[in-house]
Amino acid sequence: MNKDKDAALVKSCIQGDRRAMSQLVSQYQRPVFNAAYRILGNKDDAADATQTVFLKVFEHITDYDQKFKFFSWVYRIAINESLNQVKKRRAQESLDDSQASPWQGPAEELDSGRLCKKVQGALMLLNDEYRTVVVLKHMSGCSYQQISEILQLPEKTVKSRLYSARQLMKKTLKSDENLV
Amino acid sequence: MTEQNQTGKSPVDQHILHLLNSSIDGEISATEQDELDRLLIASHEIRHLNDELRTVTRLLDEVQELDPPEYLQGSIERQVRLPVQGHTDSKKPGLWGSGWLSTNWLRTGFALAAGAVLTVGVYEMGSEPITARDSTSMVGTMANRGQLEQPGALLDSIQLDTAKLTGLVELRNKDDLFTLDLQLSSDEPTEVVINFADRGLEFDGVNGEQVSDDGVSLVDGSVHLASKGEQHYTVRLRRTSAAQQLAPLDVNFFASNDLILQAKLIISNP
Repeated sequence: MNKDKDAALVKSCIQGDRRAMSQLVSQYQRPVFNAAYRILGNKDDAADATQTVFLKVFEHITDYDQKFKFFSWVYRIAINESLNQVKKRRAQESLDDSQASPWQGPAEELDSGRLCKKVQGALMLLNDEYRTVVVLKHMSGCSYQQISEILQLPEKTVKSRLYSARQLMKKTLKSDENLV
Repeated sequence: MTEQNQTGKSPVDQHILHLLNSSIDGEISATEQDELDRLLIASHEIRHLNDELRTVTRLLDEVQELDPPEYLQGSIERQVRLPVQGHTDSKKPGLWGSGWLSTNWLRTGFALAAGAVLTVGVYEMGSEPITARDSTSMVGTMANRGQLEQPGALLDSIQLDTAKLTGLVELRNKDDLFTLDLQLSSDEPTEVVINFADRGLEFDGVNGEQVSDDGVSLVDGSVHLASKGEQHYTVRLRRTSAAQQLAPLDVNFFASNDLILQAKLIISNP
C-alpha cells in the first residue's frame, strides 16, 4: 500500500490508462473481497460487492481526494457497499434458520476448516458496527488510526467498538465448545 | 443502548479492558503498560481475562484469507469505464459503467425480461442443434469457413487466462452487423454460451472449423458453441432494434461442464 505509487496509478487512470486501472484492481481486489466476505459471510455476495466497489471507485476516481490514502478510500467504499448489501439482504429475507447461521452455507464449506467457520460464525453474530471494526483490525490489518480514517470515526469510538466486540466474541466462542 | 452498557461493563472494567486491549494490539503507552503489569500481578481475574482476550484475538488473526474468484478481476476490468480526458461528461460514465448492473436485483430483472422474450424465442427458433444446412439457410450467409473481410470496429473484448481455458473473444461492429471472434484453447471439452435474447439482435450465422451438427446450436436465444482443443469461431448477430444503447451480451464459458467465467460484452454505439 504505497501511497506515492497509488497516487501515480490513480493519476494514470484519470488519463485513461487501463493498465493502471488493472494494477489497482489487482492490488486491492483481494483485501476488498476478503473484507466484504467477512462482513457478508457469503462468497457470491462478496464477489458482487467487490465488483460494485471497483466500479464505484473508477466511476468517482476524479473525485478522489489525494490527501487521504487511496486504500482508505477504497476500504471506505468497500465497507459501505458491504453494509448496504447486508441491509438489502435483511430487507429481502425473513429471519429464518439460514440467517441465524449464515456461515454454514454451502459456499462457506470451502473455507479453511471448522475453526474458521466457528470464528466467522461468532463474527456474524456481532452487530454491523462491531463486525466492521473487527474485520478492519484483524482481517485487513488496519491500525486504530487507519480504521478511524476509513470509518471517519474518532479513534476512541473505534477502540470502544473493538473492545466490546472482542468481549462479545469471547462469550460466544467460550460458549461454543469452550474455544476460549 | 450505549456501546458501554451493551456488554454490561462498569467504568472500572472499561479502564482495565482498555489497558488489556491496547496491550494486545501493541498500541499502549509505557505508563499504561506499567499499570497493566501491576494489575496482572495483583489479580488472577484480570490475568484470566487477559488470556481469554488474547485467545480471541489470536483466533481472529489466524482466520485465513480467501482467494477471490478467478473471474473477478477480468469481470471488473471489462466493466470499468475510465474517464476520457477532454470529454465534458468524464465524471458521468455510461449506463453500464455505473455499477448498478452488478446488483442482484437488476440481474434478476434482466433474467425475468430475458425469460419472457425467450418464451417467444423458443417458438421461433426451437431448440434443436443447427446443422450446417440449417445454418446456411438462416438470415444472411454462414458456414464460410474463413474470416469476414471487414470485421469492423472493436467494441469490447474478453481475455481468458484460466487453468482450463485460454483465449480471446472480440466483439466488433460494422453497420448493423456485430461480429464475435472467438479464439479459444482447452484440453477439456468446452462450451461457450452467448445470450443475445432481448438485445435487439438476431442470429446471422456462425463460421468456424468446429461448426458441426453437434457443436453449434441455438437454444432459448443463446448460441452454444461446444468443442475441444484449438477453436476459432466467428458468430454474427444483426441489429434489429433502433435503440441507441443495446444491453450487453452475456457470454458464459464452461470447461468439462464447470462454469469457468461469466462475462459481458458491451455493445456501445460506434
